[in-house]
Amino acid sequence: MAAPLHEPGLKQSHFKGVRLPALLLLPQLLILLFFFFIPAVRALMGAFLLSDPFGATVHFVWFDNFIALFHSESYRNSVRVTIVFTLAQNVITILIAGVLAFATDRVVRGQSVYKGVVLLPYAIAPAIAGVLWAFLFNPAVGPVAFFIKSLGFAWDPNLNGSDAMLLVVFAASWKHICYNYIFLLAGLLAIPGSLLEAAAVDGAGPIKRFFQISVPLLGPTIFFLTTMNFVYGFFETFAIIDAVTHGGPAGATNILVYKVYQDGFINLDLGSSAAQSVLLMTFALILTLVQFKHVERRVNYTI
Amino acid sequence: MTLHSFRVKAAASVLALCLSGASALAQPVEVQWWHAMNGVNGERVDDLVKMFNESTDKYKVVAVNKGNYDEVINGTIAAYRAKRPPHIVQIYERGFMTMLLSDAVVPVQELMDKSEVKIDWSDFIKPVAGFYSYKGKLAAMPFNSSSPILYYNKDQFQKAGFDKPAETWGEFEKQLYAIKKAGAAECGTALATDYHWSMIENYSAINDLPYATKSNGYDGLDTEFVYNKTLVVPQVARMKKWLDDGVLQIAGQGFSPEQLFTSGKCATYFASTAAHSGIERNAKIGWSATFMPWEEGKQPKNSTIGGAALWVIKGHKADEQQAIVAFFDFLAKPETQLWWHKATGYVPLTNKAYELAKAEGYYKQSPTREIAVLQLNRGTPTANSLGFHFGNFTQSMFAQREEVEAVFTGSKNAQQAMDDATKRGNEILRQYERLNKGKY
Repeated sequence: MAAPLHEPGLKQSHFKGVRLPALLLLPQLLILLFFFFIPAVRALMGAFLLSDPFGATVHFVWFDNFIALFHSESYRNSVRVTIVFTLAQNVITILIAGVLAFATDRVVRGQSVYKGVVLLPYAIAPAIAGVLWAFLFNPAVGPVAFFIKSLGFAWDPNLNGSDAMLLVVFAASWKHICYNYIFLLAGLLAIPGSLLEAAAVDGAGPIKRFFQISVPLLGPTIFFLTTMNFVYGFFETFAIIDAVTHGGPAGATNILVYKVYQDGFINLDLGSSAAQSVLLMTFALILTLVQFKHVERRVNYTI
Repeated sequence: MTLHSFRVKAAASVLALCLSGASALAQPVEVQWWHAMNGVNGERVDDLVKMFNESTDKYKVVAVNKGNYDEVINGTIAAYRAKRPPHIVQIYERGFMTMLLSDAVVPVQELMDKSEVKIDWSDFIKPVAGFYSYKGKLAAMPFNSSSPILYYNKDQFQKAGFDKPAETWGEFEKQLYAIKKAGAAECGTALATDYHWSMIENYSAINDLPYATKSNGYDGLDTEFVYNKTLVVPQVARMKKWLDDGVLQIAGQGFSPEQLFTSGKCATYFASTAAHSGIERNAKIGWSATFMPWEEGKQPKNSTIGGAALWVIKGHKADEQQAIVAFFDFLAKPETQLWWHKATGYVPLTNKAYELAKAEGYYKQSPTREIAVLQLNRGTPTANSLGFHFGNFTQSMFAQREEVEAVFTGSKNAQQAMDDATKRGNEILRQYERLNKGKY
């Protein structure tokens, strides 16, 4: 759709014709084609098949794979677990990243040192991060687990589903706080100093200024981060779950993406796995649409 | 490869060609073998292949480690679908039905019997051959086979006033409680990562309990799990009780249960005989091993195997098939078997190899290495102890483990959990039956 003429912007003024923009888009589109669209179409086709992993026998089974999923207690459990996991992870990540960004913004000396330290976890591969967390919190040998127990709390993620959930939520958040932090800090730095100074003159303290001025202006950033955090929670936390809990105990941390992997790769139930990935994709799609529709309206895009 | 090492290698191969004359010009027939052995066992596989390649100039086996068992089977599937499969693949025992009905393999016994090589199939240890046989014929070449045994800490047993673990579960349980009470060890036993194999599957086989109908799947795809109606239920309840009383300990992620045993924290450990090499290397304790316990009043049967077998992917050229035959012939030789047995802790596959080890006095110096063999050879296998032929066995195994974990976490009792496990397992079996009807 062509942008209306009365709204001059980047879209219109820089590109005339179709050829150049198409050419510039091509590499990205090719990547999408091979790494997203073709696999997505194959998953969609596979979702309607009951198939031998070697492809010797293939039955077209209509919606049987989906029906089986809706009847499966372990799938329903996985949906519940995923909702709890992504929500908790989202809230914790944004809150902590927000506090850190706010604090860094206030720091005068050695700001770059703090930035570096906060950003470190982002450089650690998820699998390694997972192993670290699993070890630190292992009830038999983990130093952090000993500390928790010495405070008088029972701690055993191997036997207690809530402990396990807590552990993967924190591991996943820890890994993603840095990503949120960069964006929030950049957002904070972009807030015009004049606004904050005016508020300060009016007698607002730093915390009040943060909540009354910075947070509303950070709306778009927070909205963007929420979406990204959900996507991260849905798809990219696989390695952490794999290293920390394997989805256990008794499925307590078996989030949807891990179940897709387990059923497809380990159990070789390709039809069910494909159906699950289609549902997961739809789930993420709906969520994004809802967010855009309802959240975007309240976001202030003009500064 | 650096230029320098390339030059050296090039020079060396030119030299080798000159020395060996014209015969070396005929290239050996090369076959690819994808395997899942890593670490020390991976090095042993390389040694094995090297021995074979040095024994012949007609054939050459190239062994490639493709990751763990899951990665090997997935890699094989992908390669097969892309029409570029390797010749030989090592697939875990649970993948038996998947491979058998894949239409992608040549049954090994058929392949071998067509050739000039004669192998005495009846000499294979029964539960080993039985597991990988379809209608009495071996579908895959047994390779690394193991069986669970009971490792124990000698000092801790002595400290609590026992010579060795008792033969029956009831007595053994009393010992574990006594050991904990006496303070000889912090915990009685460490839960192995593959506990479903030792504590449930082999428990059923040894005590001659039906795991599923139709001779554990040997007599038809319409088999149904029935272990929710056997002693497996009290066995799971017993594990939960041990867990609650601190007699059983779970190592959990980030830590290996074997370390709980080798560090002296837990007095016993139910694990594969293939754990020998690790325990021998790491244990700072006085340890020994013995047979898996059985239930009071039962006549114990043989245990079943774990591990993997070698499958031949179909569609390869005749001379490559000959190379495979030659390689398998080499593997089946008692000398090779004995070497492998000693180097890895896996059991010898044939009785001849076992006799050879005995004659050599090998078990005098390492008596615990004999336990798994004796246990596998105990009595004549029954329909309950020959093995397990279930489609998608990995999937139902994971469902079962999830249910056992539900008992551990306290959200279900043993009966509920095993009912749910068999129910889920049966759904998996029915789906498999629907897909493969008429093929078995």
